[in-house]
Amino acid sequence: MMKNPFAVVVATTLLLAAIPSLGEAPPSHIDLSKFPATQLDDIVVPLPSEVFNVLDKLGAPNWQEQLRDPKVKNRGEREQIALLLGSVVAEGFVAVEAADKARVKAIGRDVLELSRAIGVESTVLIRTNSIVTKADSGDWISVRRELDGALTDVKTAMIKLQDAQLAHLVSLGGWLRGTEVLTAIVQKSYSPDGADLLNQPDLLRYFQQRLAGMPPRMRNNPLVTRIQKGLDEISPLLNQKLTPDSVRRINEITGQMVKAIDSHA
Amino acid sequence: MRRFLILLSLCAIITSADANLDDAIKSAIQAMDPYVKQGYIIRDDQWGGDLGLREQKAIPHTLFRGNDYWFCMGSDGENARVAIHLYDSRGKLAENDSWQRSRFAAARILPAATGTYYIIVEVTASPKERTNWAMVYGYK
Repeated sequence: MMKNPFAVVVATTLLLAAIPSLGEAPPSHIDLSKFPATQLDDIVVPLPSEVFNVLDKLGAPNWQEQLRDPKVKNRGEREQIALLLGSVVAEGFVAVEAADKARVKAIGRDVLELSRAIGVESTVLIRTNSIVTKADSGDWISVRRELDGALTDVKTAMIKLQDAQLAHLVSLGGWLRGTEVLTAIVQKSYSPDGADLLNQPDLLRYFQQRLAGMPPRMRNNPLVTRIQKGLDEISPLLNQKLTPDSVRRINEITGQMVKAIDSHA
Repeated sequence: MRRFLILLSLCAIITSADANLDDAIKSAIQAMDPYVKQGYIIRDDQWGGDLGLREQKAIPHTLFRGNDYWFCMGSDGENARVAIHLYDSRGKLAENDSWQRSRFAAARILPAATGTYYIIVEVTASPKERTNWAMVYGYK
């Protein structure tokens, strides 16, 4: 039957190469304490679009109602600008959900201005131009990708400039505004599915640890102190079963923090 | 853990001696390719480092219920074998699918709940003492 054994071997090899192997079966349970090098001080911070991707599936809230229009000034302390930059990028996602072209374009320009203020303007120039162009054509999926990309690029540039602490503040600013919006949406029509999205206590702990580990000069900045206090207030609420009341309270606290970030501008 | 989690930015400034990490990143992105074609959005970040044989590392990550994730791993060694699996915060295997093929591996999860999950990466075979690896992920 095997007229050409070599051909059969080649064909079998190609077939095996084309089919993903299941490999060794992984254990059904592992002891996470055996990974001491990976304590929760290092956690992957999700991109805003990962949250908004789920929100898309939860219905059609009134996004226009969630939009803010803060006066963005590019002068201020670096800590405040970094927090504001993260918050403004998160605002960009809300504007995309609201399909508000003018607002998205204004946010693209704000991102550029704020990036300039902390010396990473060249990193995001192409992204911000693209945000404006793609908003004009209503290509919302691409705008989201550019906003995610701008956030990543800014943080990467800061790490390169030995400014990892500021990069954490950018992430934190985005998380705060994102959480404010998320709690506002969940509050409007409370559902366990919506509230489940707030189950992020390890992420909150990560941000708390990042702030606690900052050099005293940054940690003692009044705005950073204010944010640290706010996170401490949220912590017990996120570490217990979420209720409509706790969601409302988290919304109030994050809202106050976002206002504090804006008002220092 | 931080020294094992290397952002692309840091890859740009590593010395030429670490150039193989770039190959690991390329492998991970290659493993992700079919899923990008299926509409998964690939995150423009990479995590990586080097591992000894049978050495494992865990990457904690907040995942959201409602999203569908693929985590893909690659290594720089043609003869290396790698594995990637996903566990929940109690250490229970939580992945919905996974595969391994030589220096590529991937795992998929549709999280049952939003929360912290652990991505466990491992080099299961390699002729080298240390093997460079990288991980990327996508979601939809």
